[in-house]
Amino acid sequence: MKPEHQAWAALREHAASQLAPGFADRVLGAARARPSPLFVAHFAMCAATAAACLAAVALYQSRDSGDEDAKSLAGWSEIAAQANDLEQGI
Amino acid sequence: MRELIVAYQRRVAGFAYAITGRSDSVEDLAQMVFVKMARAIDRLKAPEQFESWLFRLARNTCIDHLRRQKLRRIFTPFAPEHENVPEPEGAVDSEELDALRHALAQLRPKDRALLALVQEGRSHAEIAATFRTSVAAVKARLHRAREHLRQHYHSDET
Repeated sequence: MKPEHQAWAALREHAASQLAPGFADRVLGAARARPSPLFVAHFAMCAATAAACLAAVALYQSRDSGDEDAKSLAGWSEIAAQANDLEQGI
Repeated sequence: MRELIVAYQRRVAGFAYAITGRSDSVEDLAQMVFVKMARAIDRLKAPEQFESWLFRLARNTCIDHLRRQKLRRIFTPFAPEHENVPEPEGAVDSEELDALRHALAQLRPKDRALLALVQEGRSHAEIAATFRTSVAAVKARLHRAREHLRQHYHSDET
């Protein structure tokens, strides 16, 4: 047998020795268990945080664009009034 | 189901160890593989392909585990002395195994998986199906992986 083959056999043996007795029963127990509540809670927390961030961005955006619109409208009204005055003056 | 787990647990453990190189994660990884197997086996359409399917599950689980570890290191970087913590004292009890472990550690995880599948007695066609690639590509990658392994294995031995 080549030394490399012996090493592979040793590797498999070593790995198998890492499995504690009752491994199969533990696996079956874990497979039957429902996803842990911790995982569900973690997921819900992430979803809630993402929703709150989106809502904050949307609110800021709408308020910001509302202010911009009001400023632009005021500017245009002033220009229109000045144009009107000029026209009447002519 | 219990019989299936008992029949394959040693082989899956060896496969996971060849890919990760860590004794302390072998049991957790083997457990994850068999839990996935137990939950998905009803959906396996071709029972004759069970072994290929199981080792594909094992390969993906191990590679995902290594990726997660890499990501975790980016977000929570460890001090240099906490990186690459050596195997616990007495965990590796032969020089040959130690040399193989070190040589495998120099390869990419996908190449380690490839070599471990060959050691599992998988044919080139089965490996190609596992990796979703062609037989020719498997042969070429296998040749390169074996060359790299041989180089590192012998340099560790000397």
